[in-house]
Amino acid sequence: MFRGSINGLDELLQDDIPKNSVVLVSGAEGTLKSSLVSNLISNYLIGNDEHGLYITLDEDKESLLKNMESVGIKKIDRLHIFDYKDIRLEWRFQEPDMIDVTSDVIDFYRKKYDKLTVVALDSLNALYSLTNQANLRRNIYHFFTMLKDKELTSFLIMEAGLSEGFVYANDYPGCSEYFLADGIIEVGIIEARENVKRYIQIRKMRATRHTMNKHQLIVDEDGLAILGSVY
Amino acid sequence: MKGVQVTKQKSDRPAQKEGPVADTNQYISRIVKNNLDVVVLATLAKKPMCGYDLIKDIFSKYNVFLSQGTVYPLLYVLREKGVLQVEFAKSDMRTKVYYITTDGEEFVREELNEFVTAVEVVMSLIEGGSDV
Repeated sequence: MFRGSINGLDELLQDDIPKNSVVLVSGAEGTLKSSLVSNLISNYLIGNDEHGLYITLDEDKESLLKNMESVGIKKIDRLHIFDYKDIRLEWRFQEPDMIDVTSDVIDFYRKKYDKLTVVALDSLNALYSLTNQANLRRNIYHFFTMLKDKELTSFLIMEAGLSEGFVYANDYPGCSEYFLADGIIEVGIIEARENVKRYIQIRKMRATRHTMNKHQLIVDEDGLAILGSVY
Repeated sequence: MKGVQVTKQKSDRPAQKEGPVADTNQYISRIVKNNLDVVVLATLAKKPMCGYDLIKDIFSKYNVFLSQGTVYPLLYVLREKGVLQVEFAKSDMRTKVYYITTDGEEFVREELNEFVTAVEVVMSLIEGGSDV
């Protein structure tokens, strides 16, 4: 269950995140988006025999692992990490369409591991920047559809560009993802004088009862933890 | 039921530079994609190279373009299995060049023997036919 994978998440979600959902995780830099997603998936996989795939376009694998370790997240063997460092370096003069490449990466791991059920993509912004801009909206639609067709629960990380508050659709050329996503989790920072807190908010989660309140997000000894409402 | 008669044809494929004929190319494409680990290892056994050169090499030999999203994960998995190892290119210290290991060579030999045997068995069954 995802709602049991991070301490305190069950206070926000009364039901679990439905399988095969596409969930956007949106927030500015330094709001723990990557840690949140890797923590969610790692702990989710501990409770079953399924496999997960974390695809990172920005960071390399070693750096991601180091970050996970630094916040106390245990990476298990069934969480496979794929980075684009080599592809981006070697194909820099004729970069392929990364939506196509990402679909093929997912297919590869699905063929290799029957029980691949969870995928994370870090980040959508990087994927967009490496995709044919002429048909971006259409490509986004097909990408989301592909994830659902493959029966994967997907967490797509998105840089929001603001330190607080949600950047809504019109701010971004590929705005349709907010409507296509089954769920939107926002992470951010609230500053009140010297009091600075990170928060998490479930803005949308189809077929799931959840609170809309912003809750404090902290780094605990064993990864992330969610405390009470920030207000 | 009579067995299907298969006439062995001499290869009338055009020279490699022009690429194989369409029908044969479909079979070749299927064989390459279904046995990609063996094709990759056999190619690297002849000449160590990076992912980029590997994709180009397979395309020039088999006329099959493989996605980066298939080849790179496979290289990483084969490396984890210990059948490939990596060294950085002398000309560019960021580019990984893949070399086959002794275990990899052994694996390719066994897989190619199995493949050839399997094709021979299938061909003999097709040519010989069987009464049901």
